[in-house]
Amino acid sequence: MALALRHTLVTSLNALATHKSRSALTILGIVIGITAIIVVTSVGETAEDIIVGELGGLGADTIVVRPGKEPKGPTDIAEVLLSDSLKQRELAALMKKSNVPHLADAAPEVLVTGSVSYGGETFRPVILGFTADFMVKTLKLRVASGVAFDERDIATRAPVAIIGSRVALELFGGEDPVGKNIDIKGRKFRVVGVFEKRGQVVFFDIDELVLVPYTTAQAFLVGTKHFNQIVVRAESPGLVDRTVFDIQQTLRALHDIDDPTKDDFSVQTQQGLVSQVRTIIGVFTIFLSFTVAIALIVGGIGIMNIMLVSVTERTREIGLRKALGATDRDIMRQFLVEAVFLTAIGGIIGVVLGFIISVAVSFFLSRSIGLPWEFHFSLSASLLGIIISSIVGLVFGIYPAYKASRRSPIEALRYE
Amino acid sequence: MKPVLIEVSNLQKSYFSEGVETPILHDLTFSITEGEFVAIMGPSGSGKSTLLHILGFLDRHTTGEYRFKGKSIDDYSKDEVARVRNEMMGFVFQAFNLLPRISVLENVKLPLLYSRVAEREWNRRAEEAIRAVGLAHRFQFDAVRLSGGEKQRVAIARALVNSPSVIFADEPTGNLDSRSGVAVMDILQALNEERGHTIILITHEAYMAEHAERVIHILDGRIDKDEKVMKRIRK
Repeated sequence: MALALRHTLVTSLNALATHKSRSALTILGIVIGITAIIVVTSVGETAEDIIVGELGGLGADTIVVRPGKEPKGPTDIAEVLLSDSLKQRELAALMKKSNVPHLADAAPEVLVTGSVSYGGETFRPVILGFTADFMVKTLKLRVASGVAFDERDIATRAPVAIIGSRVALELFGGEDPVGKNIDIKGRKFRVVGVFEKRGQVVFFDIDELVLVPYTTAQAFLVGTKHFNQIVVRAESPGLVDRTVFDIQQTLRALHDIDDPTKDDFSVQTQQGLVSQVRTIIGVFTIFLSFTVAIALIVGGIGIMNIMLVSVTERTREIGLRKALGATDRDIMRQFLVEAVFLTAIGGIIGVVLGFIISVAVSFFLSRSIGLPWEFHFSLSASLLGIIISSIVGLVFGIYPAYKASRRSPIEALRYE
Repeated sequence: MKPVLIEVSNLQKSYFSEGVETPILHDLTFSITEGEFVAIMGPSGSGKSTLLHILGFLDRHTTGEYRFKGKSIDDYSKDEVARVRNEMMGFVFQAFNLLPRISVLENVKLPLLYSRVAEREWNRRAEEAIRAVGLAHRFQFDAVRLSGGEKQRVAIARALVNSPSVIFADEPTGNLDSRSGVAVMDILQALNEERGHTIILITHEAYMAEHAERVIHILDGRIDKDEKVMKRIRK
């Protein structure tokens, strides 16, 4: 049997080699289909890895409280941005041990848009009003030179700032920024520290960050009393669900809300966010896979077409084999093996091509959003690609193989 | 007395096309015993090839009876027919019908692929058959690179490899020059005389028929003459 199979493979290979360009064009459909499968799954998984990795950077114990009701569509986003339901009062309520017992720490966030300048240099960084302590702890950041501002600075709305390494470089060049005064939206801030070089972490670049006390940001830079969000850390990841519940109860009590659908805030956990992202990417992948399936069917029809041509061309060979004792089953098996062989080659080429394209796509993808390059190549998707292409060969090879098996042996003798 | 291998009685064959019956063979009756070398001779269109196809289990007759080794062809199942072709019959065609891109050895092994012979035997058997036709120096040659005469000798080796009861040769020298033709005929004759293979040869040339012991002349689908060869060519 092994030798018989080898003989069949050699014969198939010969048949394919005789019509190189025809074989190549025939398997093109399969190659494209399988390439698409590999690219879609691989890029999908890479994107998922990047996003989940970024979210994971916040830590599983992190909870984010946002103003406005939970956004369900684009119009709700505006409400989140404009809502002023989270202020100092809400923060104080959450910080109370009796309200949210397992809260380890909480910090409000105030987003500022604007540019900073020093001397003649101007730079447009991400300006964030926050607490330095929370930032350093959650992101495991280090202040490379100088110090972080503290509780007292927050309480006194001190005009102090910690800047990222890129900001330091843009504004100060080689000079030491610590102790110097920079200008943020027309106000003087003293630089107390510079963050270590870290790059992109959780959707923003630490190197391009200017961190000021949130109280200072509210009072002097934005002029409003509400927060863009409050970031909470639970005592442990296991206590996140409990803490979310306590936060919801506290804020509902504070805002006199009985009906949870009328919440004027939303609470999001990292797990929730991660599973949301996974769902979105999953749906996207399924949709693309469906499109790819159509490409494979079209490819399969191409295979069937060319196998039928091959059966006609090889009438003489089929007749000869029958005269030498091949049964209908033997002939059928030979042509099936040939079709599967053809599509499996297409599948393997597709996997290799898909691999190359995926590497390129994920490279440019991570470059364009400024994240460290990450690549995810799915071995299971590759195996699946080759198996699927073989199945396409099997399914679309059956009809031509059946036709071949029905050929009469005397045609071989008639043939001149 | 040797056993009868092929027994044909009142055999008739017609082709049907759009309801019109075209008779090819009429009422043939003859038998061939094991070890015989029979030439079936006739002009083109006489029906001799059709007769060979029926005898070789490649085609079916319309009426009458054909018994091979005492069993009527109608009693063989489809798979049994394939098995008989594989194990008991060897075919040599005018157009050689070798697979061009595989070696001589692989070509000769082809019938073994469909046989019950154990795989470890294949090479030995194929090499033996190739030696028998004097092509031991060509084992690994691709079939396309052989001359016409060599190709036909490979085809004979292929027909021999399963040690069949009968070898059917359909105009085996039709595509060959006279020298290669004679060589091929000598091999067939040797197989008959030295190894006792039954050989049924189709030809339209009288001097080719002289290699046989007996000639059945076919004319318009009927047996015209069935005679012993008086001056058989001696090797």
